[in-house]
This record gives sequence, structure tokens and C-alpha cells, in this order.
Amino acid sequence: MCGIIGYTGYREARTVLLDSLKRLDYRGYDSAGVAIIDKKLNIYKEIGEIANVEKKIPHLKGTTGIGHTRWATHGGVTKENAHPHLSCDKKIAIVHNGIIENHLKLKEELKKKGHRFLSQTDSEVIAHLIDDVYKGNLEEAIIAAIKKIKGSYSIVAVSQDEPGKIVGVRNESPLVIGVGDSENFLGSDITAFLKYTNRVMFLNDGELCVITNNSIHVFDKNKKQIKKKEELITWDVTDAEKSGFPHFMLKEIYDQPDTIHHVLRGRISEMEETITFPEPVEKLLKSDINSIHIVACGTSFYAGLVGKYLIEQLTNIPVFVEIASEYRYFGSRNESSLVIAITQSGETADTLAALREAQASGCRTLVITNVIGSTATRLADGYILQQSGPEIGVAATKTFTSQMMVLFLISLKIALLQKKIGSDELYNNLFHLKAIPRHVRDVLERSNEIITIAKELKDAKSVFFIGRGVNYPLSLEGALKLKEISYIHAEGFAAGELKHGPFALLTKDTPVVAIVTQDETYEKILANIGEIKARGSPVIAIAEDKDTDIENHADFVLRFPVSSHVLPCIPITVVLQLLAYHVADLRKCPIDKPRNLAKSVTVE
Amino acid sequence: MIKKAVILAAGEGKRLRPFTETMPKVMLPVANKPLLEYVFDATRKSGIEEIIVVVGYKKEVIMEHFKDYKNIKITYVTQDRQLGTAHALLQVKKHIKDPFIVLAGDNIIDAGSISKLIKDQSEYALLIKEHPHPSKYGVVFVENRNISRIVEKPKEDIGKYISTGIYKLPPSVFNDIERCTSEGAHALSSVIQSLIEKGKHINTLLAKSWMDIVYPWDLITVNEAMIQTTSEHTSGTIEKGVTIKGPVCIGKDTKIYAGCYIVGPVVIGDGCEIGPHACIFPSTSIGKNTVVHPFSEIRSSVIMDDVHIASTAHISHSVIGKGCIIGDNFSTISGKTIIEIDNEFKKLETPIGTMMGEDCIVESHVVVDPGKIIGRKCKISPMKQIRKNIPSESKVM
Repeated sequence: MCGIIGYTGYREARTVLLDSLKRLDYRGYDSAGVAIIDKKLNIYKEIGEIANVEKKIPHLKGTTGIGHTRWATHGGVTKENAHPHLSCDKKIAIVHNGIIENHLKLKEELKKKGHRFLSQTDSEVIAHLIDDVYKGNLEEAIIAAIKKIKGSYSIVAVSQDEPGKIVGVRNESPLVIGVGDSENFLGSDITAFLKYTNRVMFLNDGELCVITNNSIHVFDKNKKQIKKKEELITWDVTDAEKSGFPHFMLKEIYDQPDTIHHVLRGRISEMEETITFPEPVEKLLKSDINSIHIVACGTSFYAGLVGKYLIEQLTNIPVFVEIASEYRYFGSRNESSLVIAITQSGETADTLAALREAQASGCRTLVITNVIGSTATRLADGYILQQSGPEIGVAATKTFTSQMMVLFLISLKIALLQKKIGSDELYNNLFHLKAIPRHVRDVLERSNEIITIAKELKDAKSVFFIGRGVNYPLSLEGALKLKEISYIHAEGFAAGELKHGPFALLTKDTPVVAIVTQDETYEKILANIGEIKARGSPVIAIAEDKDTDIENHADFVLRFPVSSHVLPCIPITVVLQLLAYHVADLRKCPIDKPRNLAKSVTVE
Repeated sequence: MIKKAVILAAGEGKRLRPFTETMPKVMLPVANKPLLEYVFDATRKSGIEEIIVVVGYKKEVIMEHFKDYKNIKITYVTQDRQLGTAHALLQVKKHIKDPFIVLAGDNIIDAGSISKLIKDQSEYALLIKEHPHPSKYGVVFVENRNISRIVEKPKEDIGKYISTGIYKLPPSVFNDIERCTSEGAHALSSVIQSLIEKGKHINTLLAKSWMDIVYPWDLITVNEAMIQTTSEHTSGTIEKGVTIKGPVCIGKDTKIYAGCYIVGPVVIGDGCEIGPHACIFPSTSIGKNTVVHPFSEIRSSVIMDDVHIASTAHISHSVIGKGCIIGDNFSTISGKTIIEIDNEFKKLETPIGTMMGEDCIVESHVVVDPGKIIGRKCKISPMKQIRKNIPSESKVM
């Protein structure tokens, strides 16, 4: 979640570094800093906005430097704890993402040798470790230093004695090389330098790279040079800008009719009645699967829960959904089970750890992710790209709906392979799937109605979301969206669970959002609404267009269109997203960057 | 040198309902590109470096579409209430310090004409165009290349030239607009008229090609004209046994199945499935993710995104809105006809078929008489013949 940028070339490093850091700021940060070589090594770091650093930097001509946005994990938010960190002689500077697990022990050893530490971070240890063995060649010193380190890291370093050279190394934390003309970049993600180049090389764990303005050398653990393939990133940096929308989140919500199409396009054929995945995925799905474990965090975890309902409904393969950080240490392992990891960034540390754990136990692994070339895609036996394009708003929106779409395609595919559904049923599903982008457009058209309801919620202290069946994980997601961007306390419950406890919380000041679909749970959820009304809580129902009875039960109704009950969860989700967005907007919250949250959580 | 262009794109386009019920007029697709994109393209080609777009009605549709538009800086300014063109222009006052040009986002114009306007030395200039029926527009009377008078929508066909609404203006015009709007005049042409009365010289230049869309059926003629300009390229999968003649453009991940017969100019978007054995004839554009089943025939029509056309349909000189689901054996009868719109009757000189709004569900064997307008989200039962216009969200049982 911290951001890293390294630059060496012909432009003023000051401008490039600051610009790149601003592009990384969607990851969330609490302090920032840069190191620029201009004859000597110059360091500027401040807490708060990147602009605070910008104000402090004089006009330097140096064309090599590194920068960092920090999101505190070890040590408080202070100027000292911000990166870059320096060696004792102030000649070597490093920036670091990740966690050094044995930093306390290393710190003691280094202190004994006379090293003086200025911060409370684990990262500073790295600077001193390098310094300890530095004999004029930075990469040699780094190779020696990382042998002593335990943990996850991506490190980028510069030395005053070797101006024009940047060294980067990664282990379980992302680092990408940006290839330019007479200039090169290193970044924790592509967005950092995408403004300057779209040619990239992805580093693997344990690899080290040395870049200058006109050379890139990549080495493996044993210092053997390896050849790297250059890849082209086809999305433009303007993708990552707001295009007139007041917030990235709203832009991304409006992006959904398109992103949902992207999931379907090239994968389904109505005429041929087929669903096609890349070869390794087809192989995985065709293999003998006794059970499926879905591992994920946050919103992806909720997508996984939706996936459980979708897959079990069509295939009767048991599905277990596990929070990645829990699965890693607990839960059952079964070699005949397929482990599906869902991670938007492909770099979520907890999910990657769970994925490694699953592989170590001999499970087959499949990843659903948004980022090609990410660590997850390289770890798993097969991966499916959700093709949502970059998501900048911290609150996941379009990536969630795409994940649900992918999971539905997987369930259809397995059902087809296991002959649980015939071609008629498949055709019917494919036909109605194509209607979903239209339903989403339809919901977007109704945002004025949603604003009216948002006004009812904006002053609530607490809001509950309820649903049955697949609507239960949607209530969880609805509550998560509301709490993360509007700071209103919100909880999602399975509607049937209300009377087993949460009922005690209901008062006339706790609005309840009920998701109502006209399926086998319809009567039950109406009964639940009745029970809630009896306690005086206002009820906002999210109901189908065709539902003519609901007005008699709920105080307010938001509508969504659905055809033949194929994936009503998608339009419902969009209603929930817009509701959370407008509540947060009315409350004037910093929607794209909620406090204490970061987009891609690369620490455990 | 003029660097900035203001594009007015806030209007709804009421006369283009039902198509403008969910999108502003500037987003109507012509050869699979919104009108506004033609304006952007021409503006960019003429050397403008920054576009300021005044948006209002359904602005999200515009902003969403142009999020990937490259090579030029786009700034959006919102006009909350659509009071008029002068009022719309006033919204960008703080963005303009130098002479600039202003264009309407819903009129197609060529880049050369814009360049001519940019290079013009006079303080004020207007692109004008000769028109056979000037009374629908602002009629411009010219003396010594300067405007002597503008008359908005005269009752009779007077004059010869019409205003394209494309001006070169100095930043001082904002003061004049403020003065006029405070007196209750919200149209840009009234502001210009007042400048003429104050003795300002407003130069006129002839535009080469300029097109306006006023009524739904204009989409068909403008589509026919603009589809000629799209360059030919094909991606996607084209099965063996497909015949393609003339310039045809086929999008990514689109599948054309065996036995299809496609005669260009035709544009087919991304992610479509066409055929087997479907016929697509000239001047047809088909949007993204559209499916055309076997034995259907489409000619001189605009089929928008996400449309589903079942087998053995005959669609000609028609506009089919986004997301319509059309059953088998659907038939549009096209012919020269008199169309009723806004309680007025218009006699058309070219044949016209069906104009169908978004998200209609049409069951099998439905026939539509020439020039009928079917609203958005209508449902039509099997075997019906549609003999009159159908308002949005109706059911034909």
C-alpha cells in the first residue's frame, strides 16, 4: 500500500518523482519523501500531503532519484519515520514496501557495530545493512544485505557514489520496471510512471534489477543475469483520471455497463452456445473437482460469498469461502479441491499467502484478478482476468461486479462440463446475461430516486442491511460500502438471523435496508420486514420493478430491473453503491480516499 | 493563435425523443460514434489544444464515454439549467482569457472550416452555410461579408444563409452576454444581434460541410453520409464463407458466421455476433454487443448497442435504440410518408422505416408501418401491426 518510484534519465528528477507520487496517492498515504542525487544526496520528507514535500524541495537539477508514499505499519506517522531512509554517512538512501520480520534483531546487531538509528521503522534497518557491506558497488551490497532479511519487501536504493544508478529488488511485494528512451523507471505499480512510458518489465520474487538512463540489467538470487521480456500496457493514463466526475468512485460506478461487457466479450457466444476460458483455466475446470475453496479479503471476499451461492445452485459442488488471512493458518486442505483466489490487484498480501499455502498443500489454484502480470497471475495454475480497467477509488465498485460476473461464468462452465445444465438452459442464461449491462444502465438512470433515499440515511447513526440467500453477501457488501465511505456504522445480516440477536439494536433511529427478490425467499423477507416495522425502524426496500406489493410493506422503495432472475445481484449492487456514494457525498466525506484505508493492501 | 474551443453539449434535444430520453442529443450515435466525437475530432484536427465542454442534461453519459479520449485536454463545466446558448457559454467565463471559438456539440463540421475560422483575422467571425430551407435555423443576412442581421427561425423561408452557431469570439463577449441575459435574452444569436446593433463587425465565412440532426429520421441520412468517412478495418472472427464487399469495419471480439453477406459501407462494433446467413446492406451501422440471428436483413439503418435481433427480420431505413430485443420475423415497412411529431405533420422526401426507442421488447411477427416512432421500453405482443406512434413504456397487447 505504500508507493515507490525511482527515476533515472534526462528530466529533472524532482518533477518526475513528485508527479509519480501524486499518481500513487490513491493507494492512501500519511507521509511522503524523495531523495535526489544532485552532486550529493538530498532528502526531503514530510508528513501529510505530497504538496508539503513539494514546498520544501529547492530547484534541483539532479536527474536521478527515488520517492515514497508511506502508510504507517511500524512506527507512528512522523517525519523521521517517512522514507527515504539513510545510511549513517548519508550517502545511501532506500525506500521500502513490506515488512522486515527480523528487524529488531538486526537493529540490535547493527547498533552494536555503531550504527545510529533515527526512526522507529523496520525499513531503516535496510539502509544500515547495505551501508555495512557497501564497498562501492550498490547491487553487491544489496545482495549481501537481503540475505540477512526475513520478510516481504520491495526495495529501491541509490548511492551518492554511484550517481545515475538505481537498484531495485523484490520479494513478495510488487515492483515494476518502466522502460523509456534514455530514461528508466521503477515503481510499485504501473500507474506511477504510466504518464511517461507504457513499456514495462515485471520482476519476480527474488529478482534484482540495476537501471541507469540507458541500461536495464536483471539478476536472479544467485546474481546470474536473466533476460526479461518487455510488455506493453495498453491502458492510458487518462484512464486513471476522473473525466469530469466529481469522484473516481462515481466514475467507476458509471463504468460498469462497459466493464460488465468486458467480462462477457470474447468469452461467451450465444450462437455457438459456449463459454470459453484460457486453456489452463479450461483444464482446471475440466479436472475432477470435489470441492471449491474461495479465498479472498474485503469486497473480494463478499464476491466469493456470492460465488458460493452461484456455484452451489448450479453444480452441487460444495463451496467453502474463507477469509484469506484466516485460511492461511486454519481451515481444511484437500488435494482434490480447487482453490479460487480473488484479488483485484493480484498483490493482496493475505490472499497471496493463502494461495502459496494452498499450493504447498497440493491444491490446484485459480486466480480471479484485474491485473495482468501481477504476482497472483504468476503463482496460480490458471487465472481469469476480470478486465475492469484501473480502479482508483478505494471503495471497490466495478471490480466487485466484474468478479461476480466471472464467478457466474465459472459456475455455468462447471455446470455445463458436469452436464448439470443442458444447452437450452445455457442459452437462456447467456441471453439474459447480455441484458445485465442494460439493467445497470437503467439503475444509473435512476440516481435521482437514490439521492432522495440517501437524504433519509445521511443522519443515521447506524444502518442495517438484510437479505436472504445470495442477497445476504450483498447486504454485507452494501454495509461495507456505506461504512467505508460515509463513516456511518453499518452491518449486514442474513435476514433470518435478525431475531437471533441483532433485533435488540433496532429502534426508530436505525433504518434497515432490505433486499427483496421475488424468488423462494420472497414471503420470508416480507415477514422480516413486518417484524422490523413492528419495532418502529424505517425500512428501505430494494425491490424488483415488477414487485407491485412491496409498497404495502416498506416505507421507501428503490427499484431495479431483472430478467428471468439471472444475476439480479449485479443491478442490486449498483443500487447499493449509489446509495452509499450519495450518502457519503451528502455528508461531504472524502469519498475516494476514506480515512485509514488503502487501495491495495500489500501488508498482512 | 486560438488554442481553446468551447463546445456546447448541455441540451436534451427534445425533438429527438425517445432516443434522447436516456442520453443528451450530442451522444446520438452516427456510424457508431457519438455526434460529439465528430466535433471533438474536427476541433482537434484543426489545431485546438483544449476543449471546454458545457454539459448539463445527462452529463454522465458524455463524461463516461470520453474518459479515454486522447491527445487533447478536456474540461467539463456544468450548466445546471438549460436556459439557452448564451447562458451556456457564460458558464465557461472563468476558463477563457483569450479569443476562442464556440461550437455546438450536435452539429457535424469539417476540420478545414474550423481552421479557416481560427485563422481569420477579424475579432468576431461566424461560419455560415447555404441552406435550401433556412427557416428551421437562424437566418443570416450578409453585407460585405459582414452580418447585417440574424433572424431566428423565421416563419417563412427568407434569406439564403444560415448560422452554424460556430463563432470566433473575443473574451469581452462575456460582458455582452451578461448584459443581454440580464435583459432576458439567453440565445447567443441575440447577443450577436445586439453587438451588430452596437456597430461591431461580424465577419462571415462559408463552412464546407455542416450537418444538423433535428428529428429522429435525420439520424438515417447523417449516418449514411458519415459512414462513408469511416476507414475500413476488420478484427474479430470472420468464418469461412462470409462475403464482404466494399468498405466494412468490424470490431474486436465480433463473430461473423458463415454465409453472411455484407455490403459496405457498413460499421459493426465490438463484441457482436452476426449470422450465420445474415445480410447487412450499405449504410448500416451496428453498435457494440449486438446479435443478429440467421436470415435477417438490415439495410440503411442505425442499430445501437446491445440490440438482439432474432431470425428472419427485415429492417430497413430504421433506427433501433440500445438494448431492444426483437423477435423473429420482425418487419419494418419503409416508404416516403408523412410523419406526425409535436402535433405537426412532416412530409419526408426519403423512405423511412421504424424509429424504436431503447429497451423495447418486440415479440415475433410484428410489422411496423413506415415512419412510426415507438417509445422507449415498449412491449409489443406477437403478430401486431403498428400503425401509429407509440409513447414510451406502453404495452401493445
